Amino acid sequence: MKLPIFFKNRMTEFSLSVIFVIGFLALVLTSNGVFLSRASLQGFLTYLAVPIAIGLAQMVVLCIGQMNLAVGTMGGVSCAIMAVLMADHNLPIWLAIFIGLFSATAMGAINGALVVLTQLNGFIITLGTYTILLGFQYRLVKTFTIDKYPSSLPEFGKRNILGFPYILVVAIITAILLSLFFSRTIIGRRVLATGGNPLAARLSGVSNNRSIFIAHTLSGLLIGVASVITIASLPGINRSIGGDWLLASFAAPIIGGVLMSGGTIAIYGTVIAAGVVRLVDIARAQYSLDPSIVSLSVGVVTLSTVALSEWRRRRTERQNEGMKELI
Amino acid sequence: MKFKKIFNDQRVVLTLLTIALFIFFGLRNSAFFNVDFVIYPLLRDGATLTVIGLAQLCVLSIGHLNLAVGRMAAVSALVAGASYQYWGLTLVQGAILGVLAGALLGAITGWIIVKSQVNAFIVTLAMDFALLGLVTFIYVTFTGATAAFTTKPAGMDYWRSKSLADFCLGPICGPKALPMMLVPAIFCLILVSFMFSKTRLGRELLSTGSNLRAAKLSGIPVENRVMTAHIFSGTLAGIGGLMLAYTNGSFTAAIGSQVMLPSFLGPVLGGTLLAGGAVAVLGTFIGTMMTLVIRQGLSVQGIGLETLNIALGLVLLLALSVGQIQKMFTSIKLRGKK
Repeated sequence: MKLPIFFKNRMTEFSLSVIFVIGFLALVLTSNGVFLSRASLQGFLTYLAVPIAIGLAQMVVLCIGQMNLAVGTMGGVSCAIMAVLMADHNLPIWLAIFIGLFSATAMGAINGALVVLTQLNGFIITLGTYTILLGFQYRLVKTFTIDKYPSSLPEFGKRNILGFPYILVVAIITAILLSLFFSRTIIGRRVLATGGNPLAARLSGVSNNRSIFIAHTLSGLLIGVASVITIASLPGINRSIGGDWLLASFAAPIIGGVLMSGGTIAIYGTVIAAGVVRLVDIARAQYSLDPSIVSLSVGVVTLSTVALSEWRRRRTERQNEGMKELI
Repeated sequence: MKFKKIFNDQRVVLTLLTIALFIFFGLRNSAFFNVDFVIYPLLRDGATLTVIGLAQLCVLSIGHLNLAVGRMAAVSALVAGASYQYWGLTLVQGAILGVLAGALLGAITGWIIVKSQVNAFIVTLAMDFALLGLVTFIYVTFTGATAAFTTKPAGMDYWRSKSLADFCLGPICGPKALPMMLVPAIFCLILVSFMFSKTRLGRELLSTGSNLRAAKLSGIPVENRVMTAHIFSGTLAGIGGLMLAYTNGSFTAAIGSQVMLPSFLGPVLGGTLLAGGAVAVLGTFIGTMMTLVIRQGLSVQGIGLETLNIALGLVLLLALSVGQIQKMFTSIKLRGKK
């Protein structure tokens, strides 16, 4: 009796894990084992870290029923700040990383404050900040590639423990901390309550405004983590950083089972979905298909996942209503 | 009293502000008054962005958003471009096909929203992603490295570079500063404005937007109206896409990738409510022109793309906050009266 309920609640995550394993094996078989070689496995895992981090950043905002369109430019700007500080102002790495994390968090806080002050949907506010930050990013990086910073950071990106790159470990630890935040802390539970039902949350004494502010700020912090990972995994920073983050940031949590209407989180789902998307990317490179096919298939899958989950939710609601009538 | 009333109209204030900005930039740098290099392109872009703003306005009227507006424009341009290149259609035939493709996409989007009951925001966002992949994929598969349809049908350059000066009624010709592109834009403005102010359909759209439940209870086929709004949005986005492609001179996947922010700026500045139920059709044109004057004015001053982005983002956030501040004042006043 216990087992089916466990699987029913975790159906998305379970099936995603199965898809991930099957996809992984299929790639290994079709590449005649080349995919298992150290270099290509390393590449797969290294570039998995950023999608996980930005997926989590989007998930935090999705769980209050809003969204953050500025993920890409927030990441781009904080990468640019870190790179410029290290390359042009010779700041020590730890200080640059701290400032990078802080500035991303501050951008998130500004988003949150604007949403609370204007009481508008986060979408339109982050569309505005997206544009402003894009301007700042271009201003900071101009048309150059900044790579004259100490090489110890990219070297850190290349190092690994038992085949797992350090930066992937960083992303996974972030995911675990985030899961603890939502399951163990009062603030985390309040944020979820706001997402699930703002009115009910308000009536139980939760400040919705505070939850919105916290969610956007946390999203900023996670983008900061993604930027640190980016700067450690790439040879240099230019103005294109963050340009392709938006779709990836939505794809991972939505495919992973997060509802767009808010109130749910799926941290393991987000991580494993990021892995599946990464597999599609690898398969694309292996069969030398056009890059646009990835965004097409990810877009279609995202759209159908959303429609399916909404349809399921409505069906449950209808069933519940039927039950009420019976009672 | 009467004077005050005129200034209460957002459109009047916006027009005056736009003219003031125009004169200000012109005085700073007289190159801004150049007809061929500044005013003509300004109005041409303004015409295109107005049509795309109207596409956004149609869905804003029912309280929805269309994030795929740029990509619908891209699909319309793609279909028209393919019809010129492969099927050898004339300018008008291809254009009709392109606009129909836009309308069809709008209908699909509306249908998904109605059937799945998912937030329009999410459906159009996912639609945007899917279309982005599809459009790039088609261009790359059919044309390889160029990734563009380059066949120009007869008459395309006419819309692109001619002005009303070539359009004469006897001895009187139109001014040189007004581009031909204004003609379809004005046509769309009149049609949309007529629909919202004079027809039953328009009123039904607006009441759907202002209160869905009330509209449903008063017998409006709400689901059909949601479909209608999205079909109109797709159609107008299609027209906008063709205008972008004709201005551009070739059909590429990049068409429409820059219009998302402007499509909101125009209607919102003009006084269209994001929540639905109120539209400002003429305001969309004025709002669009104002953002373009700011953009063009700053770039004539030699200010780069970076600062332009910062300025436009700030304008959007300011325009949104103004509504909120007004609301705050009104509620304070109301409280005082009580």
